[in-house]
Amino acid sequence: MEKTKVFVGLGSCGIAAGAQDVFNYLDEKIDTQVSELEVTSCVGMCYAEPVVEIERGGKRVRYGYVDKKFADEIIQSLEDGVFPDKNIITETDAGKAYLDRQVKIVLKNCGIINPESIDEYLKAGGYEAIKKAMHDYTPAEIIEIVKQSGLRGRGGAGFLTGQKWSFLAGAKGDKKFLVCNADEGDPGAFMDRSVLEGDPHKVIEGMLVASYATGAGEGVVYCRAEYPLAIKRLNKAIKDAEDRHFLGDNILGTDFSFHLHVKEGAGAFVCGEETALMASIEGKRGFPRLRPPFPAESGIQHSPTNINNVETYANISYIILNGADAYNKYSFKKSYGTKVFALAGKIKRGGLIEVPMGLTIGEIVEEIGGGTDSGRPVKAVQMGGPAGGCIPARMFDTPIDYDSINATGAIMGSGGLVVMDDKTCMVDVARYFLAFTQKESCGKCTFCRIGTKRMLEILTRITEGKGVPEDLDRLEELAHHVQKTSLCGLGQLAPNPVLTTLKYFREEYEAHIYDKKCPAGVCKPLITIRIISDNCTGCTACARVCPVHAISGEVKKPHTIDPDVCTRCGLCIETCNFNAIEVV
Amino acid sequence: MGMVNVTINGIDMQIEEGSTILQAATKLGFDIPTLCHSDSLEHFTSCFMCAVKVDGGRGNLVPSCATKVRDGMSVTVESDEINESRRMALNLLLSDHCGDCLPPCEDACPASIDIRGFLALVREGKELEAAKLIREKAPFPGALGRICPRPCETACRRNRVEESVSICYMKRYISDTELEECGEAQLPDCAPSTGKRVAIIGAGPAGMSAAYYLKLQGHDVTVYEAKGKSGGMMRYGIPYYRLTDQTLKDEFDAIERLGVTVHYNTVVGKDITAKKLEVEHDALILAIGAQGASSMRVEGEDSSGVYSGIEYLGNLAEGKTPDIGNEVVIVGGGNTAIDVSRSAIRNGAKATILYRRTRAEMPASSFEIDEALEEGVNIQFLASPVHISSENGEVTVSCIRMKLGEPDASGRRRPLPVEGSEFEIKATAVISAIGQKVVPDGIIDTGVGLTRWGTVQADPKTFMTDRPGIFACGDCQTGADIAVRAVGNGRKTAYSVHQYLSGQEVTGEPVLFNSTMGALEDVSEDLFIGIEKAEKVKMPVLEKTRRITTFEEMERGFSKEEARAEAARCLECGCDAAVDCKLRTYATRFNADQQYFGGEIRQYQVDYSHEKIKMEINKCINCGACVRACAEIKGLSVLSFVGRGFTTRMTAPFGRSLVDTACDGCGECVAVCPTAGIMFKKEYRIETDV
Repeated sequence: MEKTKVFVGLGSCGIAAGAQDVFNYLDEKIDTQVSELEVTSCVGMCYAEPVVEIERGGKRVRYGYVDKKFADEIIQSLEDGVFPDKNIITETDAGKAYLDRQVKIVLKNCGIINPESIDEYLKAGGYEAIKKAMHDYTPAEIIEIVKQSGLRGRGGAGFLTGQKWSFLAGAKGDKKFLVCNADEGDPGAFMDRSVLEGDPHKVIEGMLVASYATGAGEGVVYCRAEYPLAIKRLNKAIKDAEDRHFLGDNILGTDFSFHLHVKEGAGAFVCGEETALMASIEGKRGFPRLRPPFPAESGIQHSPTNINNVETYANISYIILNGADAYNKYSFKKSYGTKVFALAGKIKRGGLIEVPMGLTIGEIVEEIGGGTDSGRPVKAVQMGGPAGGCIPARMFDTPIDYDSINATGAIMGSGGLVVMDDKTCMVDVARYFLAFTQKESCGKCTFCRIGTKRMLEILTRITEGKGVPEDLDRLEELAHHVQKTSLCGLGQLAPNPVLTTLKYFREEYEAHIYDKKCPAGVCKPLITIRIISDNCTGCTACARVCPVHAISGEVKKPHTIDPDVCTRCGLCIETCNFNAIEVV
Repeated sequence: MGMVNVTINGIDMQIEEGSTILQAATKLGFDIPTLCHSDSLEHFTSCFMCAVKVDGGRGNLVPSCATKVRDGMSVTVESDEINESRRMALNLLLSDHCGDCLPPCEDACPASIDIRGFLALVREGKELEAAKLIREKAPFPGALGRICPRPCETACRRNRVEESVSICYMKRYISDTELEECGEAQLPDCAPSTGKRVAIIGAGPAGMSAAYYLKLQGHDVTVYEAKGKSGGMMRYGIPYYRLTDQTLKDEFDAIERLGVTVHYNTVVGKDITAKKLEVEHDALILAIGAQGASSMRVEGEDSSGVYSGIEYLGNLAEGKTPDIGNEVVIVGGGNTAIDVSRSAIRNGAKATILYRRTRAEMPASSFEIDEALEEGVNIQFLASPVHISSENGEVTVSCIRMKLGEPDASGRRRPLPVEGSEFEIKATAVISAIGQKVVPDGIIDTGVGLTRWGTVQADPKTFMTDRPGIFACGDCQTGADIAVRAVGNGRKTAYSVHQYLSGQEVTGEPVLFNSTMGALEDVSEDLFIGIEKAEKVKMPVLEKTRRITTFEEMERGFSKEEARAEAARCLECGCDAAVDCKLRTYATRFNADQQYFGGEIRQYQVDYSHEKIKMEINKCINCGACVRACAEIKGLSVLSFVGRGFTTRMTAPFGRSLVDTACDGCGECVAVCPTAGIMFKKEYRIETDV
């Protein structure tokens, strides 16, 4: 009899949500006579983690929010030979809303196959693309197909991948390098991690095709050390691929050779910048350098080098197998294919999504994401991480394509999409992202090292209620200097969160400076927390939870908060059941 | 290698392929500033001083030191936008540059005298050279060394250790020693005659200082002085017990010896008109001082027995003994009030000063107040005259007690009368010393403008009035002020006049950018670690009984040993690189503003551990030239970049000191450092450092 398969999503996100415990519990309790436990990775429905899938008789059902109690029900249903009828997350309205608009090319296997099994990858059509490429096409033809597909670099800048490959193919040099940039560092971004954890062979295969097309004999996956699971699965995948002669010398019995290894980063955000990344691979401090020369002319060890992002490589096998036309049927203006986003922040259904180009931001946020988790109105999204910008809700009809997003002042970036509701202070958001970039500046260029610091000081001053009218002009002046006079993307893009919030939410800055008010009620020095006497029942819950004993009052009588003692931590607001505490 | 065609700021040129924009622009004579760039090193592109704009590009600026020219490339290397970017880069670098270019004493000196320099020369026993060094900025070391209120000593960093260095008296010591050894002031040679004629009205410190520096430039200088002797307020406003007739003669006569002609007893406006002087000369300097006494605005101040301080001191200077009786009341709190009171004591009278605020607000120098009290002057604080009357040689001053209110425009607390606290003082004379004003009658015919304070309107940098060719300096331009400022401004005026006479644009004496670590009380305690305390040498004075009965000079001067010991107390503040610092040069050129941003600044952090090399990480601008020189030229890794973000530093790695590295002191790093981040040690540092 065919055994029932039980898949547990063991991506880092699932594990963090308790999936490993669920797996161990099932592993201990499951009757291996009737059922078989399988490992898979993140399927992208992070909001419902831990996720378990049950497959029997060709039917596969996905369950979310799995804890030990529900695991017991799963075990029981396995024994009973039925599917549990609760916690199904795919066939519901929410599940459909989340999934129906998505198109999975990059994430097709993620959360479906066991990422640590090359056989499962092969079963899912893996390594067919490299076979087809080598069998059917010349390297030049491959490059032409990738060009025709319109694939643009998914690391953020959106340069045409095929064209980039042609530079490397045309470069002179005995040795050429191929690099996969997996140094994903944007706060709130986890696209590359999920792909590497969920389908490492797909990235390897993309690099193989690139190697074949460009003549690069050596490849490096530069992955941040903070992704141990991705590194582990990638290393295993490389070894398995070598054992099956997909990597190494004489691939598939031909004279084509490609050697691939993983280089772990050491924690510097700037090493995601390609010239700093190459310096880091060479064992040097991760300093960006002037381009030209571009990597295709002089990269690692002065050899021609091509660098693509994880997601870019993960698109390749689909393009080779299905053709450029199949790929670019998903298109909008000059952007083709799909884009993976990490949907995070104040969103109801956060997770990893893959959508065709042309979907609007509003469709992503409201339909796929279901709006805010708080039920409050969405105020803006931050796209592109700390180098990106804030797009206000009134511009949510902006379609997802490189040029439309750039026109807003934000950038497509690598795919971080952070949702903010009306309780988010935009000055504070700008300050937050700039604090990140300032700390991660490599310290080389004057404008980035000191300029972002001075900008941050101005923003901090404004959020503390110490802003002066000249601050806005000075902030803008400096932002433009930093943009214009920095060597690498980190510095050039660092002012984006400031400039976009200044552009779309200037009145919030002005409220901080002129009225000494934070309209969103976030900036602590500018807010007061007070009790609405009419609503207060004197339940004392707030007084008991206040860590600094700022709340006093008699039982069953309205309480009061001493503003001089209050630290504006907001615990009382969370505790109050009567809407009796407000921020003013 | 082939040649490429490039256009730089609209100029077409050909240059070897592979050249940088910097090389191309330099070839055309453009002076592109660079800090991190060195011809001996690989480019690094961190400072962005050399940023230029490739026309038709993305609109961003690129570092010209590393960007190679391409055939047909058009580049803008100088424009408002680029200059603004460079200025902003400097503003940012300087906002995180913790160091003093100038020693704070020199920065505080209105005449910009090289104090650190002359103290070092005294320490080495080179007093004659020290005198010459002072004279480069001020021709009166002996006079200033006796009477200067010493802004330098207030700023002296040694105050944080125990007490300031005795800077002022050292000038006197230098001058005295020079006179002793040479018999007269040693004067530099004058430049060959230019044939240009300059008239100066007023032979005071400003006029004669201007005369001195103009004469050195070869101009023909004639001074017109109303009084019988030169010195201005230094003679007629300061009693001889502080500044002797002999010192004034020695120093002012030296200027006449240089070839400056002074017409004494010539009142401009009466004996000759200013207009005529203007017409007959190529340039005219107004240095007429502030000779009028300000009114007390007290009823009865015209009564007999009421005099002004300058009137009284002027009479004393002319050798007269004014009849002031034996009970003198002086009104005011400045140095003139103190000088008058102490002179009155010497004239055998009792002296009482009325001052409407407290001692803390008194503008007179603290040490002079002490000396006055010591000599028996009675100071009534918080007292103000309201009415004066005189009868039969007895003057009655009705006074009222005051209390201090809120601070006024001067920052001092405003005195307010206390109702019902009136009292009377009987005196034989009342001398007002509450201020002086400019009496412009003699120069008004030149048509120069006056300010609303009644001073002559002149540009504060060039000292040229609104009438080209007519300049103004000294008290008549600043209002009554200290002598050293008049001397300094006299020199600066001479500079402008020389520019004017040479047909150059009149821009005034160049002022170099000065970085500062901050006010005395704000600088880091770390600056003073390891400095042993050493008591300030006291000035020997005439014994008291003799002091209060004669106008003999009270202070007797330092001995050689005392002077050298005192000079050794100098901490030699200021930067060793100040003369050839590229950061400073560019900060001056692009008019950078260190305070434009404010904000967090790196802390004082030095590494003096190495025998030859010192690192002042507080002054480093992170250009990395030292790190690269060590690695590229020497093949060592003594230094490296440490940390990330704003706090990135260039230091020996792993928290080591330089001495614990492989550094052999070769100095390749020193050669490429554009500022004072890394330098060779100077001798004195080896001796004094722990």
